[in-house]
Amino acid sequence: MKLALDEHAGLDSPLHRWAAPYKIVGLGLLMLAFASIRDLRLLLPMLSIAGLVYIASRLPARVLLTRLRYPGLFLVSVIVALPLLSGETVLWQWGWLTLRQEGVQAMGLIVGRFLSILTLSVVLLGTTPFVTLVRAFRSLGLPAILADMLLLTYRYLFDLADTLAQMQQAMRLRGFGRRQRPARVKFSLWRTLNRLAALAGTLLVRSYEQSERVYKAMQLRGYGARLGKGRSDRPQGTAFDWWGVVIALISALSLVIAEALLNWQR
Amino acid sequence: MHIPDGLIPVPVALGGYGLTGLFTWYSLRQINRLPNPTVDIPKASLLTAAFFVASSIHVPVPPTSVHFVLNGLLGAVLGYYAFPAIVIGLFFQAVMFAHGGLTTLGVNAAMMGIPALIAASIFRLHIHLRRLPPKRAIAITAFLAGVVGLGLATLIFVGIVITNIPSGFNAATERAAILGLGLAHGPLMVLEGLFTTMLVLFLQRVKPDMMRDSIYPQLPFGKAPASEPRR
Repeated sequence: MKLALDEHAGLDSPLHRWAAPYKIVGLGLLMLAFASIRDLRLLLPMLSIAGLVYIASRLPARVLLTRLRYPGLFLVSVIVALPLLSGETVLWQWGWLTLRQEGVQAMGLIVGRFLSILTLSVVLLGTTPFVTLVRAFRSLGLPAILADMLLLTYRYLFDLADTLAQMQQAMRLRGFGRRQRPARVKFSLWRTLNRLAALAGTLLVRSYEQSERVYKAMQLRGYGARLGKGRSDRPQGTAFDWWGVVIALISALSLVIAEALLNWQR
Repeated sequence: MHIPDGLIPVPVALGGYGLTGLFTWYSLRQINRLPNPTVDIPKASLLTAAFFVASSIHVPVPPTSVHFVLNGLLGAVLGYYAFPAIVIGLFFQAVMFAHGGLTTLGVNAAMMGIPALIAASIFRLHIHLRRLPPKRAIAITAFLAGVVGLGLATLIFVGIVITNIPSGFNAATERAAILGLGLAHGPLMVLEGLFTTMLVLFLQRVKPDMMRDSIYPQLPFGKAPASEPRR
């Protein structure tokens, strides 16, 4: 699980230079505007805005493609089910297989919104170092406990993923996962569950013990003395940062107003 | 089982954020009432990471494989930290794997977090099952916590999807879809319950400290008894 979020945060682009708190607000507004689109005619403008933001970020295309590899089964089932099952206007029919216009339109909207919002998420996370992002969340009001948990979880996520991979490899080397003899097949699910529970349990115990050592080390460095009492940094924006928010706000409002007008005409 | 970006309307997404904000605020208020609120932050963070990683373990169930949600167990082990832990875990799932999304983070967190808190309360009931041997009482409540954690989350998920997906389906298709989802999740809930039971019994045997909250039911989650040193 090698998916460091800020691998490309060191590049130089307008999106990289945009101060994190302003970027969160600007891109957040755009995401909400994208989520509110219900008219198919606004699909292209929405995808264009997301595409332009991505191009302006100068992130390699493979970053977005890597994130697209994982979307849940649910989205795939929406793509397959909606055109076949939803709506009454038949576009194409072959035996029992029927492609319906309303379903295709609904699927287009859902996928379009998903792609556009995901693109902005990738830009937000890809153009900001993670620590800067958490500091920005903190300056926007995220409680100190959540900010600390966010940073610590991110710090140890990859370590624990590596630990799990090593433990799974060790299990395989000891014969786990090989085919069972027919007489034992009916017990294999129970045994597999038991062994995987022991695997997950060992991972939890290891992380629990590690957390005790981590806390002692953090305490020695003064952790806990000022939690919640220290003032979070207030964002100090330049004209460039404010212009970014204004452009995002205008784009978001344009989409929302266009959506309302098109809805009113119908 | 995550609601992706782009599926639900903005008011529902904002409502989800409101609900998640409320539960997070309540959880943090309880945590801040502890004598030293920082002491459990590393534990909660590392266990959040561990739960995140452990939920990627796939169990082969021919012809496919399934993975566990573990929200019931998370509630039982982390107590008041469970809700913030779920918010953080879902944030990473959204930004790393595009499972869920940033606009739907609030809805997804409420969908997973509220059942986790209910499952945690169910798990704590083993203290009251005094007629049963302790191990059996723990096994029964852990199983129920696993089943309820996933079952409630599934119900909320289906409810949100049914009420927000474009309504071009006819009634028969909708009924078949709900029935299909229910039938598919029934065995999964049993598996989740069994896995949670096995995991809880393992932790109880190997590291009983981790289940301290259930051992001292008179104390709020995360508080150690005065007669013993804090962990």
